[in-house]
Amino acid sequence: MSINSILKSTVAALAIVTGGSLFAQGTPIDAAAFDALVAQGPVASAATIASSTWASKIKQAGTLRLGGTQTSNLFSLLNEKDGKARGFDAGLAQLLTRYILGDGAKYQFTQVTSSTREQVLINDQVDMVFATYSITPARAEKIAFAGPYYTSQAGVLVKANNRAIQSYNDLAGKKVATQAGSTGPAILAQYAPKAVVQEFQTHQEALDALRQGRVDAYVTDYTLLLNALSLGTGDAKLAGAPFGAQDPYGVGLPKGSDGVAFINDFLKKVEADGTWAKLWMISIGQRTGSTAVPTPPAIP
Amino acid sequence: MSRLLEDILFAAPSPRAQAVTRVASVIAAIVLLLLAAGIVLRFHSAGQFDARFWKFFAWPTTWAFLGKGLLGTLASAAMAAVIALTLGLVLLLGRLARTRLVRWPSIAVIEFLRGTPTLLLIYVCFLVLPQAGIKLSTYWMLTLPVGLSTAAVVAEVYRAGVLAVPRGQTNAARSLGMTEAQVFFFIVFPQALRYIVPALVAQLVIVVKDTTFGYVVTYGELMQNAKVLIANYHSLVPVYLVVAALYCLVNYAISRASKRLGRPMH
Amino acid sequence: MGDVSRLLADHGPAFGQALFLTWKLTLLSFVPGFLLGMIVTVLRLLPLPPLRFVLTVYVEIFRNIPSVALLIFIVFALPDLEVVIDYEPSVVLTLALVCSAFTADYLRAGINTIAGGQVEAALSLGMRPMQIISAVVLPQALRAVVQPMTSLLIALMLSTSLASQVPLPGRELTALVSKIATDSAAGMAAFAVAAAMYVVTGLLIAWAGATLEKKARILR
Repeated sequence: MSINSILKSTVAALAIVTGGSLFAQGTPIDAAAFDALVAQGPVASAATIASSTWASKIKQAGTLRLGGTQTSNLFSLLNEKDGKARGFDAGLAQLLTRYILGDGAKYQFTQVTSSTREQVLINDQVDMVFATYSITPARAEKIAFAGPYYTSQAGVLVKANNRAIQSYNDLAGKKVATQAGSTGPAILAQYAPKAVVQEFQTHQEALDALRQGRVDAYVTDYTLLLNALSLGTGDAKLAGAPFGAQDPYGVGLPKGSDGVAFINDFLKKVEADGTWAKLWMISIGQRTGSTAVPTPPAIP
Repeated sequence: MSRLLEDILFAAPSPRAQAVTRVASVIAAIVLLLLAAGIVLRFHSAGQFDARFWKFFAWPTTWAFLGKGLLGTLASAAMAAVIALTLGLVLLLGRLARTRLVRWPSIAVIEFLRGTPTLLLIYVCFLVLPQAGIKLSTYWMLTLPVGLSTAAVVAEVYRAGVLAVPRGQTNAARSLGMTEAQVFFFIVFPQALRYIVPALVAQLVIVVKDTTFGYVVTYGELMQNAKVLIANYHSLVPVYLVVAALYCLVNYAISRASKRLGRPMH
Repeated sequence: MGDVSRLLADHGPAFGQALFLTWKLTLLSFVPGFLLGMIVTVLRLLPLPPLRFVLTVYVEIFRNIPSVALLIFIVFALPDLEVVIDYEPSVVLTLALVCSAFTADYLRAGINTIAGGQVEAALSLGMRPMQIISAVVLPQALRAVVQPMTSLLIALMLSTSLASQVPLPGRELTALVSKIATDSAAGMAAFAVAAAMYVVTGLLIAWAGATLEKKARILR
């Protein structure tokens, strides 16, 4: 089953269960299971690392400079009490760190937003970016992508009591939030050109704008919206089914880096040995009430 | 020390004036208390007094986390201040130079750095310089523009101080046979500094304020850590209030420290 | 130079609009900020301890808070207190509040330059305190602070760059440069144009301020 159909059935199930408004209680991540999963991830042999200049440089430096988010509930949320970030993106990043350096904690973290993601790679401020980063041709001109490691489509999030917006067709003339520098503005230009678009720097700010009534709807990656619903901080629902082209998430790397091949091999490995599926279950599945694990996307 | 103007204005009030003042004071106090009560009520009706929005402030880990952010702020601010003070001195010397060849470029640099917003300079370091191949580290992408911007203002502050030193000092020093450099560094500049310490400290406060733009270049400081707390606990108002209070306290402390130093210009 | 002319060909109107927005934000925040600062200064003169205390706290808060922190609070946190202010008014409000605090400070210093003897003389003529403030104190204080207020206006104009941090419908100069630098390779040229616009605006304000100061200066 594709990721999309899984998510669609999850959403449908939740809708039925909670009677129209999707107000799920925020389930915190199972920290112990997460940490255990990362701790038993694969470690690359010296030969594998030597075959990639990108990985060798990291091995020599002793730490991996990671660009990511700390404020995304399902994908990477920093727990300030123990200083650890956990989530789907965080898990894959830490598994990759362990793969190269033997220890999933040896990374140096930089918080990026959707408008700083490319620049930090161009500026060599980080080695890679793991931040629900959609692969687009425009971005591929400036940086390189490994993966994809996940796919999603666009979705529309509205307040539960909003009867006016049933799908992306009803967005004309409405105030719609999206993330600056993400695929949101392009998708809105294509599917809802008459919407009044407001761009925000982070997912959290856009969600707050919806909650506070500054905007009528929020259009972004469908999985991020499920993210929002899993928080349970206000009545919100998805308007209509996911739409638009399949949105592949990739790992951002500097242009022309040979880390692309290295990471692709790593991804194939963790997908084959079931780690990817387990991580999905711990960070997304268990917290959005879905039990069926999707198949990971094919890596070219 | 001459009396404050308002003391003179309202000195020796008649009995009637005293009564009016007392009543007015009470009314003012009541109005202000009502205002405060109104704000508290609004907090309450918006559910902002809910325990879940405040309870994490009782944990030392929260304060340690905020403290780390504050350290990031201060680390950048301290270096930017050093850059500003030293580069400002260089620019001042250029500005005061005899030859036009040195003076005009100095004036141009000062006017350019003073006349552009710090945020614009920060964006240049982050977005534009890398296009030209200059890739600074995250720390310097914040510290350098803030330092440069403030250096220009500091140069002008130095200049105001230098101009305030009585000419007699310079003349006397020259008549003693001191070289221009000796006159400047031993006689004029130290005296100038004592006039302008409050203004310099005001610049230090501005430097701390400018570091809040760190998130633009992904530098981790206090505002960033605030956003993490908000993402974890969804407590927008309390966290932003506490962070704003922290900034105000730090800057207020810096300003207070300055009041103990320096003498006024007139 | 070729870069700049190409840039102006592509984005000329956008720069014009951005400059206009910058000036508009500056003016919209300076006027209320200045008036509010004057009111705060006068109220602080009154012998009402509760009022003086609260206003002193007000001035200290808005002098010391970073403008970005204040803007973020107004835009993102206030709505949780059921006060939703649109983006442009939020920027104006932030800048006006900060401007008022600095105005109050500078005006206070201006008042300190007035000799106490004038007030005593006015009192002996039978003038009431409020009359003295409006006819003797304020006019002289205002004339004494033209120079710091000019600097404040220039600083305010430069601070309008923080409008780039909220999703405004229009783009002012800094937001425009950031967008051009992200989308194309013309960042340097865009920066040069924007910097030139800021510097020239600042010099114009400084020149106007200097002219005003010469006319208004009180020679003692």
